[in-house]
Amino acid sequence: MRRVSSFVFVSVFMLARGPVHATVLVPADLKELSREAHLIARGRVTNTQSIWTGDWRSIETVVTLEIEAALKGAGQATVQFRVPGGQVGRYRRIFLGAPVFPVGQRVVVFLGRRGTDLPYVLGLSQGVFRVVSAADGWVVSPPALLSMGPLPQAITRGDPGRRVVPLEVFEQQVRTLARGPE
Amino acid sequence: MTPVPFRRTVAVVVLALVALATAPALAYLKLGFDFDGRRLSLRWTRVPVPYFVSQTSVPGVSPSDFQLAVDRAFSTWAEVPTSAVAFEPRGITFALPGEDDERSTLGFLARPDLDRVLASTSFLVDGVSGELIEADIFFNSVFPWSVHPGGEAGRYDLESVALHEIGHLSGLGHSALGETEFSAGGGRRVIAAGAVMFPIAFPAGSTADRTLRADDVAGISDLYPEPGFPDRTGSVSGHVTKDGRGVFGAHVAAFHLSTGALVGNFSLNEDGEFSIAGLAPGPHVLRVEPLDDVDVDGFFPADAPVTLDFRVTYPQRIVVVPRGGDSGVVEIEVVGK
Repeated sequence: MRRVSSFVFVSVFMLARGPVHATVLVPADLKELSREAHLIARGRVTNTQSIWTGDWRSIETVVTLEIEAALKGAGQATVQFRVPGGQVGRYRRIFLGAPVFPVGQRVVVFLGRRGTDLPYVLGLSQGVFRVVSAADGWVVSPPALLSMGPLPQAITRGDPGRRVVPLEVFEQQVRTLARGPE
Repeated sequence: MTPVPFRRTVAVVVLALVALATAPALAYLKLGFDFDGRRLSLRWTRVPVPYFVSQTSVPGVSPSDFQLAVDRAFSTWAEVPTSAVAFEPRGITFALPGEDDERSTLGFLARPDLDRVLASTSFLVDGVSGELIEADIFFNSVFPWSVHPGGEAGRYDLESVALHEIGHLSGLGHSALGETEFSAGGGRRVIAAGAVMFPIAFPAGSTADRTLRADDVAGISDLYPEPGFPDRTGSVSGHVTKDGRGVFGAHVAAFHLSTGALVGNFSLNEDGEFSIAGLAPGPHVLRVEPLDDVDVDGFFPADAPVTLDFRVTYPQRIVVVPRGGDSGVVEIEVVGK
């Protein structure tokens, strides 16, 4: 049989030097993301720009999101947030596990903020859900991880009960979780 | 590290490519990159790999504590008997990880914006020669850390996280051999991991990831094999399909019925082909599952067409892995949720 390449190709073309990143994470579920976020917004990516960080030691990308609906936080027309990695000139930095935002893509993002810095995505890619078109309307992918009760529950791969959900159902869940306990 | 003359670097890269092309099969996800029209793995062409530790500390971890814990983690990888990977401590540096100084450096950095990232490895590749120049590891100092032999409640074990990151530094990608649960008190936690390279950390206080598993050993041995390793082990390969079409990104785990060893890999092209190498010869049971409980972005490029909508599948037949050979093609059909 034809050989199967098992490489994760984490970079495209590097004209000079191109760092990549690989990470180990603390997990988050939808409840934690909803509670911790200062802004949860659904919108469309209108622009991305990669820049050097202030200390010139790294590259990050500033994403501009045109907000369609704020599920938590003050309503505003657009929001900018930053994600690690990007390309400036011939330097490309890839941060394995960091979300990538193609212009035009619709997303729901859970954003945190510290001080006056630009907001950041909570939990790296754990705080991003893509809004994608399906046969019966808009759905959210990947399926959200959400506990259904107070007891410990194993998270089983391939669970038929965990599927992509309609956008309106997801948003209602998030709004409820963001409000916290009554 | 002394820069390598250009002509010599090119020769090293070519030799590495030839070796990869003649390998019988490949195991494990490995980090790689496209370079000059070719796909290269992030792999050190010369060992031992030198490294430095930064003169940084956090509460509970002094610079010497840090150095000892990191040294132990490097030694754990270097002591894998079927792998030729080796490392060389070069001592303390005042440089920080992430600085382009042609020195692989490990140390603490404060990154509060990376709110759930415990640590990260970055690579510096020479874009002219394609040579891997340095790999730095930063540990996020906004988290509480420990080097206590038995672990400390509420603190992340430095040696465990270092072991994971040094796997990346060596060129290994993430493994999907792990299980999580929703905790009684809320949140999510790891309850079992079949690989140190599982991307989600055990809860603070655990030292479970100080020990490499069969999957890690297969991966590092595949990347840096001792002579004879491919002849002493075997592989299993095949296709994962759904509705007659190949599935990209299906996780395939091979469980050795005699030893209990678990090694995994993925279907990695549009035909759904997979190959798991570095397996101990003998009977194996396969399990195929979607990667629907972790962040796909941590395993594959963002534009990879990963399929998540299918149920866990166990092929009915036991697969016998021969010594020094391949099982023969195993066809696995999965069904949607």
